[in-house]
Amino acid sequence: MPSLSILRKSLLASVFVGAASLSAAAIAQELTVMQSEAPRSMDPGDQSATFTNALLAPVYEGLVLRAPDLSLVPGLATEWEPNADGIEWTFTLRDGVVFHDGTPFDADAVVYNFERHLDTDRGLAASGRLRTFLEGVEKVDDYTVKFTLQGPYPAFLNILTTNAGQIVSPTADAEGNLGAASVGTGPFQMAEYRSGEFVLQEKFADYWGDNSQSVEAIRWTWSSEPSVLSMALQTGDADVINPVPPAFAQVIDANPELELHVSDGSAVFWVALNTEAEALSDVRVRQALNFATDRDGIVNAIMSGYATPANSPLATVSEGYNPDLDPYPLDLDRARELLEEAGYGDGFSMSVVVQEHESRIGEVLQAMWAEIGVELDVRRMESGVWSAAAFGNVEQKAQEGVDSVIASWSSGVNGPDLQFRPLYHSSSFAPGSANLGFYHSEEFDSLLDEAAATVDVDARNAIYGQLQEIVNEDAPHVLLYVSRDLYATREGVENVWMIPGGLVRVDTATKR
Amino acid sequence: MQGYILRKLISLPLILIGVSLLVFISIRMLPGEPARVMAGPEATQEAVDAMTVRLGLHRSIPEQYATFAISALQGDFGESIRSRLPVWDEIAQRLPYTLALAVTSYILAIAVGVPAGMLAAIYRNRPPDYIVMVFAIAGASIANFWMALLAMNYFSVHLGWLPLLGANSWQSYILPSVTLAVLPMAVIARMTRSSMIEVLSQDYIRTARAKGLPVSKVYWSHALRNALIPIVTIVGLNFGGLIGGAVVTETVFNWPGIGRLMVDAVRYRDYPVIQGVTMVAVFGVVVINFAAEMIIAALNPRIRFD
Repeated sequence: MPSLSILRKSLLASVFVGAASLSAAAIAQELTVMQSEAPRSMDPGDQSATFTNALLAPVYEGLVLRAPDLSLVPGLATEWEPNADGIEWTFTLRDGVVFHDGTPFDADAVVYNFERHLDTDRGLAASGRLRTFLEGVEKVDDYTVKFTLQGPYPAFLNILTTNAGQIVSPTADAEGNLGAASVGTGPFQMAEYRSGEFVLQEKFADYWGDNSQSVEAIRWTWSSEPSVLSMALQTGDADVINPVPPAFAQVIDANPELELHVSDGSAVFWVALNTEAEALSDVRVRQALNFATDRDGIVNAIMSGYATPANSPLATVSEGYNPDLDPYPLDLDRARELLEEAGYGDGFSMSVVVQEHESRIGEVLQAMWAEIGVELDVRRMESGVWSAAAFGNVEQKAQEGVDSVIASWSSGVNGPDLQFRPLYHSSSFAPGSANLGFYHSEEFDSLLDEAAATVDVDARNAIYGQLQEIVNEDAPHVLLYVSRDLYATREGVENVWMIPGGLVRVDTATKR
Repeated sequence: MQGYILRKLISLPLILIGVSLLVFISIRMLPGEPARVMAGPEATQEAVDAMTVRLGLHRSIPEQYATFAISALQGDFGESIRSRLPVWDEIAQRLPYTLALAVTSYILAIAVGVPAGMLAAIYRNRPPDYIVMVFAIAGASIANFWMALLAMNYFSVHLGWLPLLGANSWQSYILPSVTLAVLPMAVIARMTRSSMIEVLSQDYIRTARAKGLPVSKVYWSHALRNALIPIVTIVGLNFGGLIGGAVVTETVFNWPGIGRLMVDAVRYRDYPVIQGVTMVAVFGVVVINFAAEMIIAALNPRIRFD
């Protein structure tokens, strides 16, 4: 088994040049979607994984919904209004909505949902995201609720569209079976879940909206083998695959029966540099590594071109993103100069921990940084092992000699705070959150808090502009690239769309 | 004989206790907490800690083991962390698929491996022998998932003859069982060959030939019966290997068996499922090995288990 990924790669390179031929007869009006990982829970509030969110999206809805043009539209709430300082938000709920189990949707249901997240004893996986800003929720009348925030929070409405804000049936939750059987208000309801095989969702007859145009049923399956995803689409075993491994994108694109969809994604890939490690505590060394990194080369080598070289800590789809930054063009002379100034003219050695499936990034960086005398020790790890190493605190990293971590972070289109705060704020040091290199800057912290309290969008984005420059200058990360979202459909499948970050939406899909 | 069977029966629970301890402790030694893996990288540490408490994983290992052992004795392996379904239900749902695949593969491996090995022995050091041995060596060396992917691409994607994934019809069995059969087939062919070569040089075979018995009768009933003993041993001992092979094969073919369940369970650090599947697999291996010993005794009355 350890040789699996190596052989797999040689296989990718050599075998799949041939085009597909046939299509298997699928059951009419059932859409099969294959993703790269198994669902983690049937309760949207008890996980925070993109592919699980995609699977649960047809079943659950929030008070606010994300539309295909990525704007925010009314969902289970018809309208909402903040008070003057943005602390209290009053939502008017939609009348006549029922959960799939017949429970009526009303203010009590909404209060129940947010209280289960605020209840620390429940230990639900997605609660943290709400607890950082939500003070409480109260019922005003049967169809009105009032949210009280701890302070102004720009991402509030965005978060209501995500899994943490999705409304589950209080009855089903109280019965304690939500992890195995989803019950929401969405256009589809769960019909069957065989944990090793599939999740089947069927159209919900009493849906409050119009779900008449879409397919009758959605079958979700999964395989961790990238080549199997690609083959399943070619044979018709899958109508939609998500994601498309970049190495297969061209084969799929060249096949007239298949359609490749490429859009800007939100996952930013980077190397977090341990600012507590000896050499890396010097900002010049961190900048030198950035100058020595050929981002275009990485995008081509690792992502077959399906990525954008990163010029900012924010993804290209993020609010406030500045496309004009170009802090670190490839410049080996400048990199050597900086190392010389920092006293590392003869180079130094450092380690990086990386998950197996991303280990090629480490290998490419090893070659690039060798040019300036930096010897990179690439430590490939199985993902659970990696996660334990990556999220180690200062002492653990010192003890294990972990100098850097290759990772990525996606905050979707939910606002820059969800990217900046967990990755760079000094209150987010690992293991508590994802500031994996222990970067700390008072200027950064205070500006980020100021942005969070700024209600005016333009003024807020101006601050986010400054923050991007600060992070670029201080170089706590070697920023690599922003992935693009790739999914593919078979001919005749329409109205599938993508929320940046890999969350494929199929609940409006039609199939000829 | 009865004494031997009795000892075997007594040793089974001891083996299960030993293995359960080993598995229980070793999976907890693995870096990577289940709560972190399940909650996902974007979950806060607070959420991860709360989840750890909910799963009871904050308690000491002896404490956790005691809880597990008491429930397991009552036939309850707990609940899957990921699917929230009882581990027994998860296993019961999938075990028939794995067994069906294992049996099909073994029938295939024996049906091809034994005649191929006999052929090689009869034509020792001549072309048929070389051909069989080339295939046997290749079969024992090729990574089975790699062969599986090649076969899927050719027979399912390219030619469209066979289903690509799942276990939906009898045709679905062809690619996975061939893939899984290749390794035992190669081992059986080699074993049959060497065992037959040995038997064929025995005096009683010469006698059988000399008294004018038809060649086919000499080979099939005189030689094969004695050559079967090492083959049955190999088949019995290899059952564990077959389960190992099923892990890879089932994953590639999306086969709804316990091999794939195990892969997902390890990936998500789903401790109760890992424990449950291991116990069932160990039980299966011990029982099959025992059965193999009994068959060997029946084939060769000279063998006595005391």
